[in-house]
Amino acid sequence: MRRTVRAIHSRARRAARRRPRFGRHNRPAARLLLLLGFLGPGLIAANAGNDAGGIATYSSVGARYGYDLLWMMVVITVSLIVVQEMAARMGAVTGKGLSELIREQYGPRWSIISTIAVLFANVGICISEFVGIGAALGLAHVPPQVSVPIAAVVVWLLVVRGSYKIAERVFVAMTIPFFAYPIAAVLGHPKWSAVGHAIVVPHIHLSGPYLILFVATAGTTITPFMQLYLQSAVVERGIGPDDLPAERAEVITGSLFANIVAGFIIIATGATLYVHGHHTVNDAADAARALAPFAGRFAEVLFGIGLLGASLLAAAILPVTAAYVLAETFGLEKGISRRPREAPVFVGVITALIAIGAAVAVIPGIPVIKLLVLVQVVNGALLPVTLFFVWRLARNAELMGEYRNGRIFDLLAGVTVVATSGLSILLLVVTLTGNA
Amino acid sequence: MPAAAAPTPLVVHLSFVVGGALRDAEGERLGRVDDLIVRLEGEEYPPVSGAVATVAGRQVFVPTDLIDEIADGRIALRAERLDLQHFQRRQGEVLLKKDVLDRQLINVDGARLVRANEIELARLDGWYRVVGVDVGLRGLLRRLLPRRFARTIAVSNFLDWASVEPFTGHVPTVRLRVPHPKLARLHPAQLADLVEAASHREGEEIIAAVATDPELEADVFEELEDQHQREFVEDRTDEEVAHLLVRMESDDAADLILQLPEERREDVVALLPSAQGRRLRTLLGYDPATAGGLMSPEFVCLYADATREEALDRVRRSRVHPDAASWVYAMSTHRRLRGGVQLAELLRAAEGERLSEFVRTVQAVSPNADLEEVARLMTDYDLVVVPVVSDDNVLLGVVTVDDVLELVLPEGWRRRFSILGGD
Repeated sequence: MRRTVRAIHSRARRAARRRPRFGRHNRPAARLLLLLGFLGPGLIAANAGNDAGGIATYSSVGARYGYDLLWMMVVITVSLIVVQEMAARMGAVTGKGLSELIREQYGPRWSIISTIAVLFANVGICISEFVGIGAALGLAHVPPQVSVPIAAVVVWLLVVRGSYKIAERVFVAMTIPFFAYPIAAVLGHPKWSAVGHAIVVPHIHLSGPYLILFVATAGTTITPFMQLYLQSAVVERGIGPDDLPAERAEVITGSLFANIVAGFIIIATGATLYVHGHHTVNDAADAARALAPFAGRFAEVLFGIGLLGASLLAAAILPVTAAYVLAETFGLEKGISRRPREAPVFVGVITALIAIGAAVAVIPGIPVIKLLVLVQVVNGALLPVTLFFVWRLARNAELMGEYRNGRIFDLLAGVTVVATSGLSILLLVVTLTGNA
Repeated sequence: MPAAAAPTPLVVHLSFVVGGALRDAEGERLGRVDDLIVRLEGEEYPPVSGAVATVAGRQVFVPTDLIDEIADGRIALRAERLDLQHFQRRQGEVLLKKDVLDRQLINVDGARLVRANEIELARLDGWYRVVGVDVGLRGLLRRLLPRRFARTIAVSNFLDWASVEPFTGHVPTVRLRVPHPKLARLHPAQLADLVEAASHREGEEIIAAVATDPELEADVFEELEDQHQREFVEDRTDEEVAHLLVRMESDDAADLILQLPEERREDVVALLPSAQGRRLRTLLGYDPATAGGLMSPEFVCLYADATREEALDRVRRSRVHPDAASWVYAMSTHRRLRGGVQLAELLRAAEGERLSEFVRTVQAVSPNADLEEVARLMTDYDLVVVPVVSDDNVLLGVVTVDDVLELVLPEGWRRRFSILGGD
C-alpha cells in the first residue's frame, strides 16, 4: 500500500532525476564545459561588482590619476578575497544564506534592516545597470527604448525560467566580455614599466579628490550584495564542506579575475585619457567614447562590449540577490530553479526589480548620477553591517565548528572589516556633505 | 461544545517574557529573564522546565518549582530568595529563544519548512507549556515594534506544537539524537522534499530521524535528487551504502551507485547479496536514456509449459513491483521469450491451462532502443509494460509505463506535483 502511494508521489520527482544523459565527458567541448563548471558563484559575485558604476569609477581613477591608484587594487583584492572566502565558507558549512544566519544569531531586527537596505540599494543599482545597457548599445546607435526592454526580458527569462545550472553557466559566460578591457588596455600602448612600478609602489596624494576616488574604488570593489549573493548561491549550488577547497580556489580565481579586469580599466584610461589631459569621465559610456581618439575606434567598441556584458550580468545578479535576502529573512521558498508558482515572493521580487530597473532606465533625462550617489549612501551604510556580521559569524565556533576563522586569518579579517568599513563610512560622510 | 469549558488560558509570547523582569514574591526586581528551558522529548506540549536569568551580572538557573507565574514582561517567583546556581545546559535541554526562535522547524502537517517568528506558551494542565509557533508576519511585527504598540497586535493563528518538529542538531546537549516521531507521518517523497529544502546539517537530522526505519530511509533516498543523494551518501561507509541499497528498487539503487565516485562503486556492489549485485551490474552497463537503462530487471517469467496455477503462485510469492508484475511472461526451454499475458487474463484463464495455450506474442525492444521507441510502442500497442530482450530474444527486463511517462512529460507539467498534499 505504502509502496503504491509512494509510486504516485515519486513519479514527478524521479522524472527530474532521470533526465537522459548525452554521452560522457570525453569530447573537447564537454571538457571545456566541465572546466566552466568549476567556475561559479565566486566568479559571478566578484565580477558583478565590475558593473556600470564600477567601470565609471575605475575609468575616472585612470583618467584622473593615471596609474597612481593601481597599488590600491592589490590591497583591495586581498580584502575582497578575505571577505568573499568567509561568505563562501559559511554557505558551504552551514548551508544557509547570510540573512538567514543573521536572523538566527542576532534576531529579526538586524536582518530586516539589512533586507530593506538591500532592496533599496539593489533597485537603485539595477536602474543604473539598465542605463548602462542602454548606454552601451547607444554607442552602436540603438536607442535605449529598444535595447533596454529586450535586455530586461532576456534577463528575466534566464533567471526565472532557467534552472540554476543553466543560469549559472550563462552568468559565467557573461564575464567573457570582460576580456575586452585587457585588450583595450594594450591598444592604449601603456608604458608597462610605469604600470609595474605603480603596482608595487604606492603613490599617495593628500588631496580631497584623490581620497574620494580612493574610497569610491574600495566601495565599488567590495559591495554588500557580493557577499549576500555568494553565500546564497553557494547554498543553492549545494556546495558542502567537502567541496570547500575547490570553492575556495574558485572564489580566489574569481576575485583575482575581477580585480585584474578593474586594473586593466585603470591602465586603459590611464594610458590614454590621463596622458592626453582628458581628466574627467562622467560614466562608463563616456569613457568608451573618450577612448576612441587616443586608442582607436576598436578600443571604444571593446569598452562598449565590456560595459554591456558587465551591466547584463549585474542586472541579473542584483534582483536575484534581493530575492534571496528577502526570502531568507522571512523564511520563504527560494531558488533560481524555482517556478513562480513554487516561490511566488522570490520570483516576484526578481520580476519587480527588473521591471523597475528597465522602466526607469528608459525615461529620458533620468539623473543617473544623483541616483548612484543615493545608492552609494545606502551601500556605504550597509557594508559595515554586512561585513561585521560576516566576520562575527565566520569566527563563531558554535556555528562553524572546525571551519571557523583561524587565528591569523581572523586577525586579517578583522583588520579588513574595520578598514573597509571605515572607508565606507568615510565615503558616506563625503557623499552626504556633498564634497563629491 | 463542552458544557462547562474551562476558561481558555492566555497565550504568552516568548519574546515578551524574554528580556522581561525576574521578580520575587514581593514584586521586587531581581534581574532579567534571558531564556526559557524545555525538554522536547515525551510530552506533546513540552512544559517549561526552568528559566535562565541574569541576576547581578551572573547568568543563573531558575528552577521551575520557584516560578509562580510566567507572564508578559516578567517571571514572578514564589520565593523571596533565589539560590544563585550557575546556569549550565543539561542533557536534553533546549533553550527556547536561543535554539528554537527564529530558526527553521518542520511543519509536519504541511510537509514544509517554516521559520519560528514567535513561540507561544500557555498554562495547560497546571503548568506553562509550549503550545505553538507563530510563522506569520504578525508574530514578526510584534517583535519589531516597541512593546506598547506590540501588545495591541492580537494573537495570530499560530501553528500547533503538535504538528511541528524543531531541528535540534545545533543544540550542543541534544546532539545525540532526539527522535522526531512526528516525521513518521510524512510520505517518503515529502521527507525528501524537506531534506532538499533544508540545509545539509538539518537534512542529516531528518535522515537520521527516519533511519530508525531502514525501509523508510531507503524510500527517502529513492526520492532524493542526484545532487542530494550524493551529498548524503558521500560520508557513509561502503557498508552503510550497501545496507541502504539492499532496500531500494534496483533501478533506483543503480542511480544511487552512479552518485558514488567511480572507484567506490565496485566495492559497494560487492557487498550486496549476489543476486542484487548481478542485477545492478547489468543495469549499470546501460545508458540511462535507453530501454536498457530504463528497465527493471525484476519481472515474472516462467517456462511456457507451466500451468496457470504455477504462474499465479509465482506472482504471489515474488517481490516484483506490482506494476512490473502486471504482465507474466512465458519462455521456451531455451529461455527465449515466447509471449506474455496480463495478470487479469491469467486469472480468467481456465484452471490447469498451460501458459503456452493462451499467451500472446508480445512486442519487445532491444536494450539499445531509445526512449522514443519505447514510448511509441507503448502508445501503439496500449502497453503498460514493455519487455526488453537481448539479440537472441532472452528476456532481460521490463520497462514500465510510469518510468517512461516521467521522461516524456513536458518539463512544466512535472513540478506541480512535487509536494502532493503540501500546503
